Amino acid sequence: MKVTRREFFKLTGLAALTAAVVGCDWDEDPILSQPLTDAKEVTTICPYCSCGCGAICYVANGKLVSVSGDPDHPINEGALCSKGASLLNLNTVYNFRTHNAEINPNRLTKVLYRAPYSKVWEEKNWRWAMDKIAKRVKETRDASFEAQADGVTVNRTMAIAHLGSAALDNEENYLLAKLMRSLGIVNLDHHARL
Amino acid sequence: MANVVLVDTQKCMACRGCQVACKDWNRLPAGATKFRGNYTNPPTLQAHTWNHVVFTETDKGRWLFASYSCMHCTDAACINVCPVGAVQRTKSGTVWPDGDKCIGCGLCVQHCPFHVPQVSKATNKMGKCTGCAERVSQGLRPACVTTCPNGALLYGERGEMMQLAKDRVDALRRQGFSEASIYGDLEMHGLGRIYVLTEIPSAYGLPETPGYNASAWIWQLARRPLGTLTSIGLFSGLVVGFLRWRGERIQHKDNYSI
Repeated sequence: MKVTRREFFKLTGLAALTAAVVGCDWDEDPILSQPLTDAKEVTTICPYCSCGCGAICYVANGKLVSVSGDPDHPINEGALCSKGASLLNLNTVYNFRTHNAEINPNRLTKVLYRAPYSKVWEEKNWRWAMDKIAKRVKETRDASFEAQADGVTVNRTMAIAHLGSAALDNEENYLLAKLMRSLGIVNLDHHARL
Repeated sequence: MANVVLVDTQKCMACRGCQVACKDWNRLPAGATKFRGNYTNPPTLQAHTWNHVVFTETDKGRWLFASYSCMHCTDAACINVCPVGAVQRTKSGTVWPDGDKCIGCGLCVQHCPFHVPQVSKATNKMGKCTGCAERVSQGLRPACVTTCPNGALLYGERGEMMQLAKDRVDALRRQGFSEASIYGDLEMHGLGRIYVLTEIPSAYGLPETPGYNASAWIWQLARRPLGTLTSIGLFSGLVVGFLRWRGERIQHKDNYSI
């Protein structure tokens, strides 16, 4: 583009005028783009204590963007304590230096197995892990099962204990208790027994 | 100021839900902290911690809890002293720090009577509670209020909240808290965060008579027009120069051949 001396001065003046006008503050509220309106809502239960507060996970483009209390849930009515309010951080954390969202690096996404007396964790697949658990349960139960104790029929194994979870719902807990009882396990407990 | 947050300190159980919800909503990073002999953690607000619960143990062995963050003062020191106008009042009445304009000079840090604004060493920008302006403008309550499990944080129209606060203070007085009072009605010409206290404000770490140095504000009032005058001067000089050059050009038209 060829600019003559006259045009150059005209443009400079125009630019200065524009700067004088545009440089002024706009009387507008700042709006952050929080894409919650477009996000899909998925309800969940807080996995921490046994209160079982309801939470809503907001999913946009297949990614978890926010978690908040579920206002329709009868237990917490939209509120969450500090542990519940940090649910998002189980998945996403904000980098201290770059302020960017990234997947929590401490989150386990694969089955890890440490053999007895070993110092290293090995990555295994779910199929292997389920088979291993079933095999060990059967071995332990067969070895420790007692039909009678002090002349009373007990049909139990004292060698296995089961720890439930607050993250499970009523039906899952019912099925788990049923399974454990049928195996003869009497040591049932819960990880959030208050 | 239309809407305010009511902090009922007697209902607070110090679960820090507000502290975490604030970080979660505003996408603020976590930082490692140390135990400093007090449960208030972090001990002060930070550029990336806009809300924290202050724990105070009284001589009588009673614990006082107060969710603490920007007060959104009607007569805000930070707005008045900012040399670049980076701290602004939003339409919803909250005090908004504009990170794009902030130069990290720290004047607001010096003059805030509540020690709320803090300048980040990493980004050299001031960070503080925005009053969840983007949530409020879409009809939601601030993140801290939404998450509070006990109703210790309430959000609503100022007159309504003041009435609630008065009722609470009356109830607390009847329960034997003779020092129960409202904080934030007249302080700084009205705070955007009203506290129902059971003890005197200083017991909660709140200043009894908050205020700021007026000289800083007057200095800024003088400095801002100076900046404006400079740009007007530059522009008018340019116009005058152009006109003069044009006049000369018309006089000696033959000398210029563009």
